Amino acid sequence: MSGYWAGILAILAINIIFAYGIFVTAAAGQLNLGGAGFMAIGAYAAAVLGEQLGWSPALTIPAAVTITGLIGIAIAFPVLRTRGVYMVLATFAFAQVVTGVILTQPVLGGAMGMVVPDYVDLPVLIGAAIATVVLVFFLMATRLGLAMRALHDDELVSTLMGVPARAVQVASFALGAGLAGLAGGLYAHHFSFVEAQYFSALLSIYVLLFVLIGGTQTAWGPLVGATFFTLVPELLRIGGSWRYVVFGVIIVAMMMFRPEGIVTRTLLARLFGRRRRVADAG
Amino acid sequence: MSATATPMRRARPLTMALLLGLAASLLVAGITALPGGSTLAQQIVSGLMLGGIYVTVAVAFTLTIGVLNFLNFTIPTLFMLTGMVAWGLARWGLPFGMSGGLHWAPALLGGVAVAILASLIVERFTFRYLKTRHGDATEHAIPLVSSLGFLLIFEHLVLIVLGSEAQSFPVRFRLDWQIGPLVLGLPQLASLLLSLGIVFWLSWLLAKTRTGRALRSIAESPDTATLLGVEVTRIVPIVFLLSGLLCGVAGALFVVNYSDVSPFMGDHVGTKAIAAMVLGGLGSIWGAIAGGLLVGLLETLGIHFFGGDAAQVVVWTTLLAAIILRPQGLFGASRIGKGKL
Amino acid sequence: MPDDALLRLEGVSKSFGGLKVVDDVGFALPRGGRLGLIGPNGAGKTTVFNLISGVYPLDAGSITLDGQAIGALPPRARVLAGLARSFQNIRLMPHLSAVENVMLGQHARAAGLGALLTPIGWMPRGRWRRDAEALLAEAGLDIDPGEVVSALPYGIRKKIEVVRALASQPKVLLLDEPAAGLNPAETAELARFLREVAARGTALLVVEHDMGFVNEVCESVVVLNFGRRIFAGSMAGARGDALVREAYLGAEEIAADAA
Repeated sequence: MSGYWAGILAILAINIIFAYGIFVTAAAGQLNLGGAGFMAIGAYAAAVLGEQLGWSPALTIPAAVTITGLIGIAIAFPVLRTRGVYMVLATFAFAQVVTGVILTQPVLGGAMGMVVPDYVDLPVLIGAAIATVVLVFFLMATRLGLAMRALHDDELVSTLMGVPARAVQVASFALGAGLAGLAGGLYAHHFSFVEAQYFSALLSIYVLLFVLIGGTQTAWGPLVGATFFTLVPELLRIGGSWRYVVFGVIIVAMMMFRPEGIVTRTLLARLFGRRRRVADAG
Repeated sequence: MSATATPMRRARPLTMALLLGLAASLLVAGITALPGGSTLAQQIVSGLMLGGIYVTVAVAFTLTIGVLNFLNFTIPTLFMLTGMVAWGLARWGLPFGMSGGLHWAPALLGGVAVAILASLIVERFTFRYLKTRHGDATEHAIPLVSSLGFLLIFEHLVLIVLGSEAQSFPVRFRLDWQIGPLVLGLPQLASLLLSLGIVFWLSWLLAKTRTGRALRSIAESPDTATLLGVEVTRIVPIVFLLSGLLCGVAGALFVVNYSDVSPFMGDHVGTKAIAAMVLGGLGSIWGAIAGGLLVGLLETLGIHFFGGDAAQVVVWTTLLAAIILRPQGLFGASRIGKGKL
Repeated sequence: MPDDALLRLEGVSKSFGGLKVVDDVGFALPRGGRLGLIGPNGAGKTTVFNLISGVYPLDAGSITLDGQAIGALPPRARVLAGLARSFQNIRLMPHLSAVENVMLGQHARAAGLGALLTPIGWMPRGRWRRDAEALLAEAGLDIDPGEVVSALPYGIRKKIEVVRALASQPKVLLLDEPAAGLNPAETAELARFLREVAARGTALLVVEHDMGFVNEVCESVVVLNFGRRIFAGSMAGARGDALVREAYLGAEEIAADAA
């Protein structure tokens, strides 16, 4: 496999994991516009643990996921008291605080960034991406996943069905944070260098856009979104700024004509479903 | 829109503002009189000047959220477009070689015109198509997402056409007014007053004119407004026009005062303006004024005492705390709707 | 004296900003009972439902379910105690399928982390899914259970909502205008289904405007007007009661005079 395509696949794998992190909270009705903040926490946690404690990636990455998940739980309680546009702003502000704090800490390299020891190869990234996809598909098939989707559609009535809204929302937010942290940890060890400027507001915006364009109704959405937006510009050989102009035009067009995203339940039904009658049930 | 809701605002706004301005000046004078106070006072003055820019953009944000319930992420880009287009016009003149480099005044006007045009384009391709069918969380985000799309389009088109380097606008006024140990940049003072003037004009527009009343009724309840005969589809573009105008004015004033233009100037100002809007209360113009000045002060004093990077952390942490502890800000009303069962 | 009422309201009141919407309302629903809650529009019936299910807190009074005081419990606890309801404006989850909406209703019965993490979406022959599909069949819904509900017609969605409420096997089922917008055939079918449900032990409290339907399904009625209870007893008794006639017909007489 050529170095160029290996690089693309690596980015794709990381984008997929990151996208699922945002998907898991979006599917439950919460928009996280601070994904890059959690990815940064994961990346720097892995970097620091590897650098300062000499841990291998087999330890730093799970630790990074755990740390990010715990911070996600801690942040979830105050943030989930907000709704709608306030939640968007709160998560946005959180990500800015994270990168701001990183920039002021010399031990984290400040604006110069930090070198990350121990390289993690492409197969590990691909394995992690596959595991993430399987995990989220499983989650959405459980009663917990059903509760999340119900909360997305109608929070009040979900509570009146007995769903513990706050607990499910915190769990999905924390899981999302953990996945973003996983993406960050893998990014750090694969590219061997982290700097705060990479984890910008624009990165948070991109990943949220992948997820919303892919579709939040089913677990196929983030896979399609991340793949489409990572591979298509490469395949069409669009480079640099034109890539983002095209991206922007697609987003505007999608919101005009198909705001629910590319993959919807009805689309899946048309592609894969067989019609059954209730009377067929054993 | 809470432009005229509480008793405080029934007092004539202009009188109140003049009184506050007087009080602020006395405070600053007092601090200057203290030993070693003049540095602090100078920082306060600079902070308020910077705040003036944030005020104008914050008002654009808060107007759009108040009337349309729409967090318009394209707004900072409109600010940037004004600056960059003005620079481009001054440097190279009109496109297709129709003229040589323009004088700074028409260049600035051109920049403002482009900002307004861009804003109307955004309206045409986002709001007109909005059809909320289920009213759930991700549906409310649709216009927000569209505005993010436009942010990408405009910012990257500018990068392509005008390059990614920071540039210098060819005019910069240097007129300083010395009052005791304090130095007041006259252009900065003029732009603070101009920003506040535009915002007061907007406030008057909302309170006293037919269009303003129509806007406020849409903010209250779009359905009732339609029933009352307000032509929502004709009035909504006015919000976008006003946003474009406000960002254009802010951009023009920024460029004249600080002279730096870059394709990224919108990002910095935009995020501070959002912070200002939240601190003041979503939907409140007075809140945007207070918030903008406050953010300008916080940022300038923060840089003075803690250094550049730490100051950013201070501003963002304050914002995060504000959203969590008091989301309605200083002047807003909490707006958490309960569905009808 | 043992209280054989399953659901008992006493002195329940609620005001919204100075307007007393529910004023000192009390009634009892016996075990296996079928009670109609009727009255002209704006009488406060849906508010009573919202107070029972915990959407609004009580200003005054008490609500007891099977001997347990539920007036101070959060909505979720009341569901777990055996309460279920449907809504005046259909509140199904639009992006979920019919069977998924019903399985959501099962949530109150599916206790514990194990149940929460069972991949029911991957188990088409699993117990929960077959239960849900069986309930849909019993209600006479001959549809594709995997169809997303936003695509289904009004009458079918209304019935799915009732089925969803039943999926938690509640002690008391609150139904808010279940027959609204249904054609006569659908209405009769629903009445038949509800009588079967009641026969199997679920008590029903039904808000309705269709008096034929109330007659079919309920054994007795409570009449509200302007937030107050003006009558409790049989349908026949209600028809004969002067206050009830005035509440309903008074409005009609004014309209007739004006015509």
